[in-house]
Amino acid sequence: MSASDDQADVEKVLSGDLSAFEGIIERWQKPLVNLAYRFCHDRGRAEEMAQEAFLRAYRGLPQWRKEAMFSTWLFALATNLYRSELRRIPERTVPLDEVPEPVDFRATDGGLEDRDRDEAVRRAVLALPAKYREALTLFYFHEMDVPAAASSLGLPEGTVKARLFRGRELLRGKLPQRLAVPRLKEA
Amino acid sequence: MKPAIEHIENEIDRVLSREDDIFPSSGFAASVMEAVRRESTAPPPIPFPWKRAWPIILLASLALALGIVGTIVAAVELSRPPATSLTSLPSITTLIPAGAPNSTWVWTALSLVAAFISVKLSMRLAGGGT
Repeated sequence: MSASDDQADVEKVLSGDLSAFEGIIERWQKPLVNLAYRFCHDRGRAEEMAQEAFLRAYRGLPQWRKEAMFSTWLFALATNLYRSELRRIPERTVPLDEVPEPVDFRATDGGLEDRDRDEAVRRAVLALPAKYREALTLFYFHEMDVPAAASSLGLPEGTVKARLFRGRELLRGKLPQRLAVPRLKEA
Repeated sequence: MKPAIEHIENEIDRVLSREDDIFPSSGFAASVMEAVRRESTAPPPIPFPWKRAWPIILLASLALALGIVGTIVAAVELSRPPATSLTSLPSITTLIPAGAPNSTWVWTALSLVAAFISVKLSMRLAGGGT
C-alpha cells in the first residue's frame, strides 16, 4: 500500500472521477473490515460498519488535510464510527467478574490448553470497560504501535499508555490463576 | 517485573497479537462502490432556510422575552405586602404605561397582529403566499 496511490486516487475522486474510489476500497477493505471485526466480533456487522466507514470517508474526502497520512485519517474516521456504533448497539459482553473459568482448563502437563488460554484472554478483554478495551484493540491492531493507536483513537499518547496499563492490570487481576502456569513448550 | 506477571503479560501479548484476520466477502467492494455511486448521485441535502426562519425566531424570542418580563413583574408585585386584597392581582397589563388606551383593546389588537403575522409567515414558508 502506498501513500502516493492514496493521494492520487483521492485527487482523482475530488476532480470527479468516482471510479478512482475503487482503488481506495481495494487497498483498505481488509484493514477496515478487520478493525471493525475486532470491535464487534460479528462478520456481517463488521462489513456493514466498514461500508459505512467508506461512505463517510467518501463524503469527508475534501476535509482530508494532506499533512496527515491518508491511512491515519481513514483509521481515525473508522475508529470513531465503530466506537459510536458499538455505543449505540453494544456487543454482548459479560462483566469482568462473571467471566467463567474454562471447564476443562488443565492440560495433562498441568498447564492450560492453548485454545483455552486464548479464549480466556479474549473473553476477559471483551469484558473490560470500553475505554480500556478500545485502547487494547487498537494497540494490537496496529501491531503494538502506541502512536498509531493514539492517532486512531484521537487521544494523546500518554492517555493511551495509561489506558493500556490499566487495561492490562485489570486483565492480570482476572487471569493469573489461568495463565500463571507456563505452557508445555515453555516448561 | 515479577516472573508470573511477566508471563501473564507475554501471554496477553501473544494471544491478542495473533487475532485471526478475516477476509471481506467477495461482493463487499462492489457493494461499497454501489453505495458510493448512490451517494454521489443523490441530491444535496436541502439547507436550513435561515433567511425565512429568522423573522419567526425573532418574533418567538420577543414573545418569550415579554413573557419572562411579565412573569418577573407579576412575581415582584406578588412579593410586595398586600396593599388591598388578593383580588387585585397584578397582571401583564401593568407593563402598559399609564394613560395608554384601554388594556383590553391593546391586547386584542396585539393578538390579532400576532395571529396575522403568523398566518402570513406560515403561508410564505409553505410557498403558497403571494
